[in-house]
Amino acid sequence: MTAVLERDTTFDTRFATEPYEVAWASEARWFVQHVGGDGTATYVTQVSPDGLTWCDLDDLEHVVEPGGLVSWPATGFGHWLRLRAKVEGSVQVRIHLAVKA
Amino acid sequence: MTTSDVRAALLSADPKLSKFSPLPRILAFDEFDSGTHGWTELLGNYNGRGDLSTVDDHMRDFRPPQLSACNFFDIGTHGALSGTYALKLATRPYKGHTAVAIRRLTMSGRGLVQLETYFAFKSEATLGGGAELDSFGDVQWDGNTHPSEAQFGAFTVATDLCGDGGLRYHTVARYQNTDMDNHFTRRWMAPTVPEPTPREHFEGKVKLEYAADFTAPNPEDWQQFGEPQELCYNEVPTKVNWHYLRWLIDTDKRKNVELQVNDRVMDMRDVPVPPYEERYETLENLLNFYFSVRTHSSVRNFLFLDSVLISVDW
Repeated sequence: MTAVLERDTTFDTRFATEPYEVAWASEARWFVQHVGGDGTATYVTQVSPDGLTWCDLDDLEHVVEPGGLVSWPATGFGHWLRLRAKVEGSVQVRIHLAVKA
Repeated sequence: MTTSDVRAALLSADPKLSKFSPLPRILAFDEFDSGTHGWTELLGNYNGRGDLSTVDDHMRDFRPPQLSACNFFDIGTHGALSGTYALKLATRPYKGHTAVAIRRLTMSGRGLVQLETYFAFKSEATLGGGAELDSFGDVQWDGNTHPSEAQFGAFTVATDLCGDGGLRYHTVARYQNTDMDNHFTRRWMAPTVPEPTPREHFEGKVKLEYAADFTAPNPEDWQQFGEPQELCYNEVPTKVNWHYLRWLIDTDKRKNVELQVNDRVMDMRDVPVPPYEERYETLENLLNFYFSVRTHSSVRNFLFLDSVLISVDW
């Protein structure tokens, strides 16, 4: 399944995507595209036991430049996934989460 | 023994189908333990260049449905009625925000159409904070009743139908748990006007803001039907009790017929079904169903669907 967690949303400060349940899935891949804005953002995959409290999955930071599309896998997650992001400038973001059983 | 007797015996002996009362022809039987079965996010229309900034603000963020094991902070996995997974519609924690899942079919006949589902509705649990969080709306936590119940706004089941030369209309049934001021109303409602369309915005007639009620934005355009009904929220936000819903419409007469929710059957024959004045192209025999959930607070609202069965008499 593919979920579009942000659809051309503009951010100029820190944000996190909405909680997404993936209990049924064994692998996941993020696709983060900056479709507008001149800023840069740094993304980290987060996991949660309950969809309410979150921690980083790993110590990997993924930087997306203006116009860029960056993808990375997530494995060994629990039943929830989201991204947290640090933003410099303004970014317009499209985020796909592709998950498989 | 008649054909009808045989059919009834087969249905009653099937543990998956015997909890439903299908009309003669089953179009769809969606147990969400095995996937989303075509229930997908609704998105407003956009221009020929895929420019999503042309999507209406109130129709650009209806959120992707999720396959949920009904996982909670306090008890872990609750699970669904028919297995582990249910379809979950989840709003953002933003007052007025709506999540929508839609299923798209077309009609090969006219007549009775019935949608049945087992559903549950919950607000997201709140962790931490001060003693002020023990009250919300009309509720003060007393060991039994819980403020979470007053944080749930409304859920809706509806159709989008078109045929007979482009005549388009919606049938709609909404359970309003609270009003926008978070007071309990616990009533069934339907709109008296058709849903605003992207063309109305394109032509400069309507411009709705983010989180406007896309089904009918003006609260005065809704009317109650039936009597108020108390459902089984079951106190805290992490107990999931499944409710039965059966909704019957008639696409030959373009009318509502009746709505059953648990032990309550409501006659909907006089509930209006306002058609659009203009005729539509590219929608011939449109047979869409949607569920939506709308929060009236700054707390995420969830609608869980265990399964949906759609059947017809044609």
